[in-house]
Amino acid sequence: MANILDRLYEKAKLDVQRVAFPEADNEKMMQAAYECGRDGYIVPILVGDAEQLKALCAQRGYDEGVFTFVDVNNEEYKNKLIAAYVAQPGRILKEKALGRRMADPLYFAAVMQAVDEADVTFAGINNTTGDVILAGQMVVGLQPGIATISSIGLCDIPGYEGSEGSLLAIGDSAVCTNPNAEQLASIAISACDTVRSLLDWEPRCALVCYSTRGSGQGELIDKVIEAAKIANQQRPDLAIEGELQLDAAIVPAVAAKKVKEDSRVAGKANVVIWPDLNVGNVAVKLIQQFGRADAYGPMLQGFQKVVCDCSRGAPVSEIKGNVIISAVRAAGMKK
Amino acid sequence: MDRKELEAKILELVSTSYNKDISTLSMDTRIKEDLGGASVLMVGLVSEIENELDVLVQLPVAAACKTIGELVDKTEELL
Repeated sequence: MANILDRLYEKAKLDVQRVAFPEADNEKMMQAAYECGRDGYIVPILVGDAEQLKALCAQRGYDEGVFTFVDVNNEEYKNKLIAAYVAQPGRILKEKALGRRMADPLYFAAVMQAVDEADVTFAGINNTTGDVILAGQMVVGLQPGIATISSIGLCDIPGYEGSEGSLLAIGDSAVCTNPNAEQLASIAISACDTVRSLLDWEPRCALVCYSTRGSGQGELIDKVIEAAKIANQQRPDLAIEGELQLDAAIVPAVAAKKVKEDSRVAGKANVVIWPDLNVGNVAVKLIQQFGRADAYGPMLQGFQKVVCDCSRGAPVSEIKGNVIISAVRAAGMKK
Repeated sequence: MDRKELEAKILELVSTSYNKDISTLSMDTRIKEDLGGASVLMVGLVSEIENELDVLVQLPVAAACKTIGELVDKTEELL
């Protein structure tokens, strides 16, 4: 069977999305955008100083026709974007503040995305994760009811036979350090929406910790129980349960022993949510080191639309994978 | 805009951004402990200050302020 990334590449072609690249002056970013666009996976929009970008494109030997260039100095287009943006309900930034920020291609791209001139904002090579999250939060905004930006990763674990074969989604291993119960509920809800949009899974989400259904006590567990309660109240349509230990969440035999009542999740979770970033970071390293797993992501989630932050040290192949994942998520969110 | 006017304006913006009754707020109100709320509310507050006063207080600077009074100080320095 083709690996998950190969399948996502094919899926991206079925519903091609417009991806805005505000850091295309970067060589690796332009190459990734070019190859994804040339091969028909996305429509790449390069946002910045258009003249400079065109010169770089020629210098690097790329066919200009693959790209759409958007010039941040084009006042007419900028004003059109600003007018459309401030007309949207609930927007915090007003004309002047927005105009000032849009000198930065990252903000310009985010505004394009907010007014539906692009489907994805893809950055992270020159900007820090904090910069990307801030721009996304300020301009694109959070999903209604979501209290925090977070992330999930998709693990492909050799030999693991879970409810989705060798795949398991895990979160948050990268962004939200010490979530309170409300934030933990948001992470679980966002994670369910992310896997549904990306993989068409029916999400079964376990909030894990060191206790299964009251087997342990303490404040670390109370937070997880409270988070499950909040998530269920907020999104009764989703199968989110806690508290569960990891084995009770993903191993049917353990679930049968430890979870006596009916459960939509125990033993067959395809999404696992850690109680905090200490657990999340250690867990993903364990899965990679001992499980020899490939981990894709982190994928940022919680924004109204897909904003992607790639690693600053990422090679072109990894950037391309993240572009494809983002595009497929954006297509899935429109369904 | 003098100090008193600036204080009044910032109190008004905090009240809107954090959805708090303005009569419960003062220069000594502690942002983290007394106002609470998600960090996105601070993003909203910084945006409101930028919109209304035409001054850009960077988010990390605003987030480092312990009280509303400190936030007024930082804004005043930039005006």
